[in-house]
Amino acid sequence: MKNRKLVRTTIGRPSQKREQNKMKDQPEQPIEIIKKHTSQINDVIYKKVLTDDGLVTVIYSNSLVEKMTLQIMVLMPLANHLNQIHQVSEIMDLSKLEEIYFKLISGYTLLYFHQTNLLVGLDTYSAPSRTITNTETESTVIGPQDSFTESLETNISLVKRRIRNPMLKNENRIIGSETNTNISILYIDDIVNKENLETVRSRIDKINYPAFNDISILKQLMEDNPYSPFPQFYLTVRPDSISHYLIDGRIAILMDSSQSAIICPTSFLEMFVSIEDYYNRWTTASLLRFLRFFGFFLTIMITPMYVSTLTFHPEILPYELLLNLQESRAKVPFPPLFEVLFIELIIEVLREAGSRMPAKVGQTIGIVGGIVIGTAAVEAGLISNILIVLVATSALLSFLPPIFLMSNTSRFVRYIFILSAGMFGLMGQMLAFAWLIAHLLRLNSLGTPFMSPIIPRKAGDLKDGIFRFPITFLRNKTGISRSQKK
Amino acid sequence: MSTNKRKLLNSYHVVFLAQSSMFGTGILTLPQRLSSLGYSEAFFPLLLGIIASLTLWPMIWIMSKYPNENLFRINELLLGKWIGKSMNMLFIFQFTLFLAAIISNYMQLIQTTALPEQSTTIPVLLLILLLIYIVNGGIKSVARFCMMAFFLTIPLLYFLRWAIEKGDVSHIFPLFNYNLKEMVEAIRKGYLSILGYELILFYYPYILNQKKAFKHALLGVWISIILCLITTFVSVMYYSEWQLKNVEFTVLQLFKAGELTFIERIDIIGMTMWVFLVLSTMAAYLWSAKKGLDSIRSKKNKLHIYIIAAVVFLIIILPYSHEIREKLFEVSYYAGYLLIVWPIFLSIVHLLRKKKVQQ
Repeated sequence: MKNRKLVRTTIGRPSQKREQNKMKDQPEQPIEIIKKHTSQINDVIYKKVLTDDGLVTVIYSNSLVEKMTLQIMVLMPLANHLNQIHQVSEIMDLSKLEEIYFKLISGYTLLYFHQTNLLVGLDTYSAPSRTITNTETESTVIGPQDSFTESLETNISLVKRRIRNPMLKNENRIIGSETNTNISILYIDDIVNKENLETVRSRIDKINYPAFNDISILKQLMEDNPYSPFPQFYLTVRPDSISHYLIDGRIAILMDSSQSAIICPTSFLEMFVSIEDYYNRWTTASLLRFLRFFGFFLTIMITPMYVSTLTFHPEILPYELLLNLQESRAKVPFPPLFEVLFIELIIEVLREAGSRMPAKVGQTIGIVGGIVIGTAAVEAGLISNILIVLVATSALLSFLPPIFLMSNTSRFVRYIFILSAGMFGLMGQMLAFAWLIAHLLRLNSLGTPFMSPIIPRKAGDLKDGIFRFPITFLRNKTGISRSQKK
Repeated sequence: MSTNKRKLLNSYHVVFLAQSSMFGTGILTLPQRLSSLGYSEAFFPLLLGIIASLTLWPMIWIMSKYPNENLFRINELLLGKWIGKSMNMLFIFQFTLFLAAIISNYMQLIQTTALPEQSTTIPVLLLILLLIYIVNGGIKSVARFCMMAFFLTIPLLYFLRWAIEKGDVSHIFPLFNYNLKEMVEAIRKGYLSILGYELILFYYPYILNQKKAFKHALLGVWISIILCLITTFVSVMYYSEWQLKNVEFTVLQLFKAGELTFIERIDIIGMTMWVFLVLSTMAAYLWSAKKGLDSIRSKKNKLHIYIIAAVVFLIIILPYSHEIREKLFEVSYYAGYLLIVWPIFLSIVHLLRKKKVQQ
């Protein structure tokens, strides 16, 4: 909105001037106006070409239009088949300057015919794009290996290649008052729940945010509860994942210049589902799902358990085990809470440093962190080696969820549990657990309960929940999508 | 005041609301409360269950006459504005005291097992804050929490295994070796443990399928009764008659019979897990009390939850003698019995007034 006003006010004055100068030199004017406004945009190029229809000025943005495209689509027809240009181009209204302007910066080539005072535009946008590569964030052993790129057209084509169905619709919208980013809402018309679709549309329309550099910003603005530590929509870079959920009746949102796509609505259980589960045998898939799901609860419980047992209830442990534990932390001067916080934070630092480092330095960090800090800290008597085992296990467990956002959540939630365990032992831990359950129960994803199907909207969904039943059992649509087809 | 027209509660919500609001801290002391019967208490929860089912019926009957109103509103409609409102005040006081009693009982228990030599002020505060968080989501949030609490705590039954192994089955055969006085004593004390199902008087207007509400609530009540039955069975098998009378928190001690190679004191885990059951019971009470305050002040306000919660917190925290506190809580228990028979009285008033209107 803002920039349009800006354009209008700057355009206002010259157009008045044009009215005054109308008598003197009429045909030169539109070009002059456009030139004036693009004087600081130095990649806009003006080329004068003499054709059968007289003088033509070609205006295009050098960085948005490739030379090849320009040659084939504009310059060659201009020299040889002028008719072709008139057939494929659209005529611009000279009075709507802001529109012309917008076209120019979105990659159009404008042609001004001096003789007839006619301005036409051709879509020659040739975005720089990379090739489709393997996914690095959600890699699988079995199944298709292609992943989304940062080009919206490529991403949509990847999905449409998988679902050859005329009912698959994509609605394009432009969001972001400063960036004017293209997004596309994908859904299958005869499966999707219309109410959900309306919610998505109205939420996108309500968003008033200047810049969208990645789709995760849109996701945070769209979610039901933006204050929750839990992601309420699924985020993926895999087209097969998108296709799987679209057929289930979900809505996918893709954004230009963003690799990931949103799937909504999503349930808590689905945060532990990887698309590879459907490619594996059902036995393997069930085992993995079970591990991921209970891994989440283990990772937030293991280290707090250590804190509360050693601080408040050493009597919980049998004598031998307690002796073992106490021996290992005989030299440790800190209370268990600080010991745990210390080592958890070090792991956090290691992880963060590892992900920010250049890849070549990364290995060094692994050695420094893993061996030097781990072994040396135990030998120096700063932490007990049992705790190292527990922390390492919980750190590994936190990487089990296939969505990275969920694994981040488990990292954060764990600190709540550690602190409450440090304050009130098992009681505090259970209070935190009760909070977690109450919070999860109150969350919604696009108006559908996040804990579905545990709050059974549909008990049959449990077949594809913590366990994955054989494929023949899974024909029905899930309850959370509330699809039209069953 | 327009009571909420939206129907929120499905059948399973009703089942678990009825079940969870009954099943709180009461169960922990149930074997001790029934101990005047000696070993014959094993089957006694059945009798309590029958009484509960019989008193549930007039509740549903009177509610079905006013499908869109809760008990507070019905009180005002049938008894007039002033008597009705003062009655409602009484019920709200009872709920508040009852909430305070539950929390302070539970916290005493926690203090003896899990947090020895620590002040419980902050845990109480956290518990109440959590409670507010659950109740703020409305009755549906409460019902969902009740359901999760049931499924999360039901595995605790497994820990009774060792008590059963060590116990003597021959204890449970009914001997009928008690007199009427002992039985009345047992009912008077033991019925406390199964209070809670009467809250259907307040969430009935939100039930989707009101015709089957009786069936669903009954199912919930009997799930609780069966759990009570298991508890008394195992207690009777495990303890001697003297122990039943004199051991405090008999159920807690049952967990102590457990023998795992890596955990010695299962009772601490069991006790802290119990917070789910306590929360689900209290959430239902707090929600009902909030509705009461809504109807007395004739407007809906989220602030009412905070007011009641603050009062509950003060009752627990303020320093006054143990005796007065026990007395207060005792009063709230007997007022709870009043609420059980209240619908019968209301039904009579309803019939009388209907006749008057017809004449």
